[in-house]
Amino acid sequence: MAREFLNEFEELVLTSVAVLEDDAYGAAITLELEKWLERKVTLSAVHVSLYKLEDKGYLKSKVGGATNERGGRSKRIYTITNAGTAVLRAMREKRVELWGMMPQFKTI
Amino acid sequence: MKEYPTLAERIIRAICPDHLVDQIEGDLIELYHHDVKDIGMRKAKWRLLLNALRFFRPGILFRNRFSNPLSHTHMLANYTKITFRVMARTKTFSAINISGLALGFTSALLLFLWIQFEFSFEQFHTNKDRLYIAWNRSFENGQINCWNTTPRVLAPTLQNEFAGVDHAVSFAQWEGTQRFKVGDKKMLKTSGVYTDPAFLKMLSFPLIKGNAESALEHPQSIVITEDFAYDLFGDDEAFGEMITVSEGEYTFELKVTGVLKKLPRNTAFNFDYIIPFAFLESVSGVDEFWGNNSVTTLVMTKEGIDESQLAEEIKDVEKKHFKDGQHIEIFLHPLLKSRLYSGFENGVQTGGKIDELKVIGILAVCLVLIGCINFVNLSTARAQKRAKEISVRKVTGAVRRSLIMQFIVESIIMCSLAASLSLVLSYLLLPWFNIMMYEQLSFQEAPIWFWGCFAAAVLSVGLVAGGYPAFYLSSLSAIRVFKFSGSGKMNQLMRSGLVVVQFGFAIMLMVGATVVFRQSQFLRAMDQGYDTNRLAYVPITGDMLKNFTAFKNELLTQGFATSVTRTSTPFTEQWSSTGGMQWAGKNPEERTNIERIVVDEEIVSTSSLTLIAGRDLDLDKFPSDSNAVVINESAWRLMNFENPIGETIKDNGKDWKIVGVVKDFVFVSPFMRKSPVVLFGCEFSEALSFVYIKLDDTKSLAELKNGLEKIHRQYNVDYPFELHFADLEYAQKFEILDSMKMVSAAATLLAIFIASIGLLGMAMYMIEVKKKEIGIRKVLGGSVYSIIKMLSISSLKPIAISVLIFAPLAWLAMTAWLELFPYRIDLEVWIFVLATILILFVALFTVTTQTAKAAYDNPVNSLKSE
Repeated sequence: MAREFLNEFEELVLTSVAVLEDDAYGAAITLELEKWLERKVTLSAVHVSLYKLEDKGYLKSKVGGATNERGGRSKRIYTITNAGTAVLRAMREKRVELWGMMPQFKTI
Repeated sequence: MKEYPTLAERIIRAICPDHLVDQIEGDLIELYHHDVKDIGMRKAKWRLLLNALRFFRPGILFRNRFSNPLSHTHMLANYTKITFRVMARTKTFSAINISGLALGFTSALLLFLWIQFEFSFEQFHTNKDRLYIAWNRSFENGQINCWNTTPRVLAPTLQNEFAGVDHAVSFAQWEGTQRFKVGDKKMLKTSGVYTDPAFLKMLSFPLIKGNAESALEHPQSIVITEDFAYDLFGDDEAFGEMITVSEGEYTFELKVTGVLKKLPRNTAFNFDYIIPFAFLESVSGVDEFWGNNSVTTLVMTKEGIDESQLAEEIKDVEKKHFKDGQHIEIFLHPLLKSRLYSGFENGVQTGGKIDELKVIGILAVCLVLIGCINFVNLSTARAQKRAKEISVRKVTGAVRRSLIMQFIVESIIMCSLAASLSLVLSYLLLPWFNIMMYEQLSFQEAPIWFWGCFAAAVLSVGLVAGGYPAFYLSSLSAIRVFKFSGSGKMNQLMRSGLVVVQFGFAIMLMVGATVVFRQSQFLRAMDQGYDTNRLAYVPITGDMLKNFTAFKNELLTQGFATSVTRTSTPFTEQWSSTGGMQWAGKNPEERTNIERIVVDEEIVSTSSLTLIAGRDLDLDKFPSDSNAVVINESAWRLMNFENPIGETIKDNGKDWKIVGVVKDFVFVSPFMRKSPVVLFGCEFSEALSFVYIKLDDTKSLAELKNGLEKIHRQYNVDYPFELHFADLEYAQKFEILDSMKMVSAAATLLAIFIASIGLLGMAMYMIEVKKKEIGIRKVLGGSVYSIIKMLSISSLKPIAISVLIFAPLAWLAMTAWLELFPYRIDLEVWIFVLATILILFVALFTVTTQTAKAAYDNPVNSLKSE
């Protein structure tokens, strides 16, 4: 099966959803990514990626509870699907495979 | 606690899909609170706004639209299938729709192919935007006249005196007969030009051999086209070879310094060879006289100059150099406009050929429109037949938008079918169209954008023609549709209106075609004032100059001719004109152009002009006739003599005595205004370059041709024999009118045909609807006649209305068109009566064949079903 590969940012978002488990929603993912990557991450970009990943079937979502901190607004909690896990694993394997094919760095 | 700015909230609500808004807002607020702790309230507010604004991106925006689960694309296959099923079920209606549109498209394709070709003229020159032709604008008698022949000296003057001028060259195509000799091969050509060396640099006529920079530098050089090179040299190399060129009594050797690629068809320049002006001037001297407007001046301006400033500078160049030219201004007219926009009226640019193109364009659009009207009418009329389908679709959940989509898809499919049919048709008809238009158009040469425009046009016709039915049909509510009977009053009204327009076009075209036909017939049959029958002319070449008298005597004694004379030009060509002729009592302000023709004796009898006073030129009886002239009626009127015979006029510094006055004859072409003409008698002149021969009419043409050729060979060994017939030359003047006649006739037939099949469709539909009514009427005792009357009258009413509206419009249009002709017919009422009767007859015939069939039908057939 020809698998659709993801771009770098989508992969990061998908991974963080997997990492955050039950608490994966827009703001949380954004903050988490900013912490990991030590760079600014735009909320809207995260949202767009989440929607795309959901369209592709790598994520599923449900509306979760509201907190005071969110001004009473609900969260959309994402969880990774089996297809999502599979695509992450496939990408990781491909990358490792490619690394293996790279000639060893020689020190001069 | 004030949570966060409402502006961000508003932005998010405006741009984000409804089902996501809540969570996005939540996330934004959460981040905002996070930021407040980190970087403070003020900065956090800004960042919140920025974050909100960043949701303005395709990934979010498009989610709005695509969130609609009812995507039309899923239904496309179904719509297509239904379209073909409907077409198969209603074969006649589909055939009417498609053939009407296809005929419209075909004519539009052909006509726009021609228009496109006309617009492509001179577009291939690299410097096209900097090329101009110099024109004169003269202010005389309170009139402003414009013309584009200029003095030879203008080009060098422009080049030397104006910084904004890059190059300026003279260009002259005098059509003098020149003989070419290479080895034993001899050839007569009149298709040469004289010009200056820069010509090849300015215009983009590529050379196969030779260098455009220097090809014409040396006076004794000649540049020829590849076809002419092939004619002269066959497969041998022409470049660098010598050619012997003779004209009159001169013979020269010229070297081929360039071979031009075949000239494209979309240029007004049409020549076989170029000889440098410098050569001509080395023989006959330099013409520096500003009063002699004999050449075209081509100008290329420098890049990036201010054109209006250059125009201002150039304006007075003639005034500066020429005492008598105080009333003349020079202006530059772009080369790109020289074909389509060269009409000037009182000094103002007033169109030109572009007007003809506009008329043709409108014609093409109208023909497509007539086809579209069929489409709209039949689709709305047949709404009832589709009503069940529409209601079922609505009941099962189709929204209005998807129904509109369905009908538009349907009409686009129909249009595309019609378009493909029209491609085949126009391809097949193109050869015939080319003959009709005297053109050599081909679809291969049409640029890509032409096809792009065609595709776009087809698509938009599909949208427009399908649009109305689509909106109308989809607007019916399901319940109404089920109970639907007969179409609404509004629709009926609109359909009748469209039929009025359709037949209105047909009537206008019909009247137009008849008027064009009559006008052309009138011009052809018009008394030319001289007799072209058996009038022939032979160009004077080589030894014919000195052997003319012997040639003439031979022709007369052998009985081939009844009369022989010489002229400077056939009456179908313009030769020379002047505003400077003088006579007793001439108003010094008067500068009307008088045409000159130089003739030998017996011109009046040879060409059968009609004398109204005085006598013919006759050197035997009156040796002084070498200084005598014969004038035409218009010239007499202009000169305003009580009795013109014996009066003298001054021209070219000589006195000429008027010995005769002839009735006005058609000079050059029947499309030109009557102009004053003076026929100058003269004993001998190089200007006499044609032998005019009145052939004996008892002999057959073949016999005459052979006889003449034999005698010609006897007196002029070196030159090939060429015989022209005055009636054929005269007939050539009708080419434009002929193609117009054919186009309007074809368009008329098409328009009537398309409109009639539309009418046929409507009649058939109406009968289908009223089938039961007819049956019941018959059962209750209605006569066949009364039923036919009932059915026909309602269909014929719009046509009667269209006659009333459009006949007067046609009258106005044709009056305006006829104004263009100096000799014209009067518009007669019978043309309109005939057109009306014909249209009504066609309509009546179309409708009654259908209605009669229905009326004669046994009512059992229509009533037993259901």
